Amino acid sequence: MIKVDADLCLGCKSCSNVCPSQKIVCTDTGEMRSLHWKRCKEECDLCLEFCPGRALALVPYDESVPEPEVSFELVACKICQSRYATEPMLRRIESTLPANMQKDSYGLEWIRVCPLCRRNIEAQRATRQMVLRRSRKRA
Amino acid sequence: MPVYIDISRCIGCRSCEVACQRVHAGSGHINVHFVGDLASFPIFCHQCEEAGCVMACFSGALRKDEEKRTVFDAEKCTGCDLCRLACPFGVIWTDKIAHKCDLCQGREQPVCVTTCPANALSTNFQQASRRARSRAACIAASGGGR
Repeated sequence: MIKVDADLCLGCKSCSNVCPSQKIVCTDTGEMRSLHWKRCKEECDLCLEFCPGRALALVPYDESVPEPEVSFELVACKICQSRYATEPMLRRIESTLPANMQKDSYGLEWIRVCPLCRRNIEAQRATRQMVLRRSRKRA
Repeated sequence: MPVYIDISRCIGCRSCEVACQRVHAGSGHINVHFVGDLASFPIFCHQCEEAGCVMACFSGALRKDEEKRTVFDAEKCTGCDLCRLACPFGVIWTDKIAHKCDLCQGREQPVCVTTCPANALSTNFQQASRRARSRAACIAASGGGR
């Protein structure tokens, strides 16, 4: 059976993706993500091995122990408000990026913007440059 | 081998998107974004030298090869989503595994480049550099200023 350390769990659904018997269920409902580890007797530790937070442990099978469940509030994008990640995942990114990528005046605020909005910002930036060039040509 | 883009040439036909999906079993890695009616701009992996996705990947599925390309090993990917969140350009997406530009490994040229009917995409550094120089020269000749 799997024991979960909720403080270490990132809510990333790695375990749910790698479980060969689909015993780890991840459900995203609007603002929340919940992960549910069903009772498991398999001799397999793929989920342990592939947990980025090292939050899982194997414990002896016990009917009386309730099935572990963890839920997270999904973080809303600062621009479009769509829910795109869990707070521990974003914290994890912040801690893995080297200091020189965190030094600019905006720090790590960009992590709070969802990937789609990041692409839109990039497209708008490039377009501004081009439109400027075009207007120069006409003038 | 990065892919260079000349945005003033992009006609927004989205051929690159289709071609990319065709060679990657329906899961493409390039997105054409439209900025009002003004412009279209394909956004894809920049092959960052200091790649956030590689730093965030805990399973070793994303790594840098000898030629500084970011290579992806689907076998090792767990679909944890961390690379998607660590990409400043937002070009990685995940379902059960991550989907990221591999510069069409095994092909001579990335298929987006060979498909683009407007020659907006290229892997030709000389050409990209020549175009950039001529743009700058144009502006300088017309009086400069920003």
